[in-house]
Amino acid sequence: MSPIRLMAANDWRLMARSRVAQLALLMLLALAAVAALTAIAHRDHSNDLRARFQAQADQDFDGQPARHPHRMVHYGHFVFRPLPALAGFDPGVDAFTGSTIFLEGHRQNSANFGDVRQSSLLARFGQLSPAFVLQVLAPLVLIFIGFGLIAAERERGTLRLLRVHGRSAGEVLRGKLLALAGIAAVLLLPACLALAWLTVSAQAEPVAAVLLTIGYAGYLGLWVTGVVTVSALTRSARGALMALLGLWAVTTILVPRIGSDVALRMAPLPTRLETDIAIQRDLHRIGDSHNPDDPHFAAFKAGLLARYKVSRVEDLPLNYRGLVAMEGERLTAGLFDRYAEAQFARQRRQAEVVNGLALLSPAVAVRSLSMALAGTDLEGHRRFLRQAEAYRYTIVQGLNRLQAEAVTYVDDGNRNSDPEAARRVRIDPRHWHDVPDFTYRSAGLGERIRAAAPGAAVLAVWLVLAAGALGLAARRLGRDL
Amino acid sequence: MMIESDPVAPPYPVIDLSALTLRRGARTVLADLCLQVGPGEIYALLGGNGAGKSTTLAVLLGFLAPDSGTARVAGVDPASAPDQARRKIAYLPESVALYDQLTAHENIAYFMALAGSEPGPDIIDAALDAAGLQSEARTRRVGGYSKGMRQKVAIAMAVLREVPVLLLDEPTSGLDPRATADFNALLGRLKARGTAILMVTHDLLGAADCADRIGFLAGGRIVEEVRPAEGIDVMALHHRYGEVAAA
Repeated sequence: MSPIRLMAANDWRLMARSRVAQLALLMLLALAAVAALTAIAHRDHSNDLRARFQAQADQDFDGQPARHPHRMVHYGHFVFRPLPALAGFDPGVDAFTGSTIFLEGHRQNSANFGDVRQSSLLARFGQLSPAFVLQVLAPLVLIFIGFGLIAAERERGTLRLLRVHGRSAGEVLRGKLLALAGIAAVLLLPACLALAWLTVSAQAEPVAAVLLTIGYAGYLGLWVTGVVTVSALTRSARGALMALLGLWAVTTILVPRIGSDVALRMAPLPTRLETDIAIQRDLHRIGDSHNPDDPHFAAFKAGLLARYKVSRVEDLPLNYRGLVAMEGERLTAGLFDRYAEAQFARQRRQAEVVNGLALLSPAVAVRSLSMALAGTDLEGHRRFLRQAEAYRYTIVQGLNRLQAEAVTYVDDGNRNSDPEAARRVRIDPRHWHDVPDFTYRSAGLGERIRAAAPGAAVLAVWLVLAAGALGLAARRLGRDL
Repeated sequence: MMIESDPVAPPYPVIDLSALTLRRGARTVLADLCLQVGPGEIYALLGGNGAGKSTTLAVLLGFLAPDSGTARVAGVDPASAPDQARRKIAYLPESVALYDQLTAHENIAYFMALAGSEPGPDIIDAALDAAGLQSEARTRRVGGYSKGMRQKVAIAMAVLREVPVLLLDEPTSGLDPRATADFNALLGRLKARGTAILMVTHDLLGAADCADRIGFLAGGRIVEEVRPAEGIDVMALHHRYGEVAAA
């Protein structure tokens, strides 16, 4: 056996006989197993529930009796975002953003203008998941198991004995790296099993699962290198432990937390109330279809009369009320989109600030990489919001068009006073059946890989820096002994 | 017999220190130190605290590089090729470092494997027999060992190395008289095998009992050297040691 493997094997034997190492490893493995099981079960349960609710909502919408089309516009429709397969590994922001939107005319509901603060989401500890265990807890276990790998050997004098027996500082460091990397591999194992299970049972893309494994292996490799480096550079085991715990607290807890505050300050998001007030103000500016003196709708009406060469709206071949509803929806939807995109832009700016802080915290980098590959990042949520809004616009405008084409202007005006007119404006319910169901299209693998690239690049930079620090530690260790 | 200067150099020195000078800041720890130990020779280096005894061992082990002069261990310069030099040295530190969670057998097997040899359990047992460690203790973890027992494990390890040089730092501190006598007998066997042994010690009587030469180190150089085999007055030697140590 090579001296490096020999030293690693000896460290594993010592760890196997250390109650602290045994306890830390067993606790984390148990936690990782529980995290994997609960995250997968949670994902499956949520998806079942959402699929059931979606089917129920579709059925309720399709099952509406004959109605006036505008009643259907206000009856509305619920859409649900299904969780991607890899949400069983990293649920990402799903728990904070919500997954349901109520779609109705004249309004853009739910999370679009909610108090979703991207910064605070990234900083907050999420639910117990394999990703959380690897990001936050696994480094802690590596610290508790590895802080004394060199520092404790130095304290008890065995480090000098290793050197006396002909082993170089470089060999000693490589032996320690191998020993701790072995532990990291064990810590990674439950997550790998969870990913394999999701690939088999939920049809997660194998490439994404492999890339996630590589990403987390790189992250844990970084901690392995860091722990061994600090242990080599520190005089005492106690000092190494203190330094490493400080490093963990700063990079895993503090920087992400501070990052959210910094992002919030640099790109503040308006509250829902502020947004609603601003939208209402702008709505009044762009046009009020109920106001006969409104310049926009007056021009709209004049344009229609001219186009159809008639002098009264009653003479139009289409129901003027339906056409006004369509124009009103077009205007408000454009306004909603503008506000939504502005909100998304601010969220992206916040994400950029937080990702910039990944240079100070590899935990932020791996979190970003993980959520992007799993398809559970904020971009995935925005994708859902855009698709839901596009769907809302399509069905609302479809119903408005029905009002314009299938309901006469006269009946529409008399429906509250004339029972026959009221009967005639209630159109055939088969129209509701013809409305296509909502299908969420998640981001493709290529898109997710591109989104994960910045996090991967930052991790690579960290790994290069850690390798440099390890080289420094090797030189110093060689000098010291 | 005391030798004021011009220590007689043994033939074919395995340990060869020549005009070795080492400074630490303003303090000169070793000053033109000359010392040769031949194959099958035991050299005891005595001196007071801070005389440079442990520094001499650290130079031979390649842990410290001299400012001037040369050091050779079986022909290898430990300053430029420390790992190569260490492969020719067995070292017994004053405070024996072992892995507390391992047994004596496991400690020895591990360090021997690191040094490139893999003695079987019987050979390790034989070495522990020679070092005088009770057999019932050998399967216990060394965390519960006394200092003397740990010393015996380290002695067994040094015996098993079968290298040309053995460096001993206070080897009998912690050993009872019986174990000390066994240890001296063991050194005799290593000497017969041709091992060059350099022993740093405060134990004048022990040194007189087993060493071929005894050198008194003061101010970083050997100020006197005696050959016990030529007949010495132990009381006079003890008195002289006291003077040197106090100097």
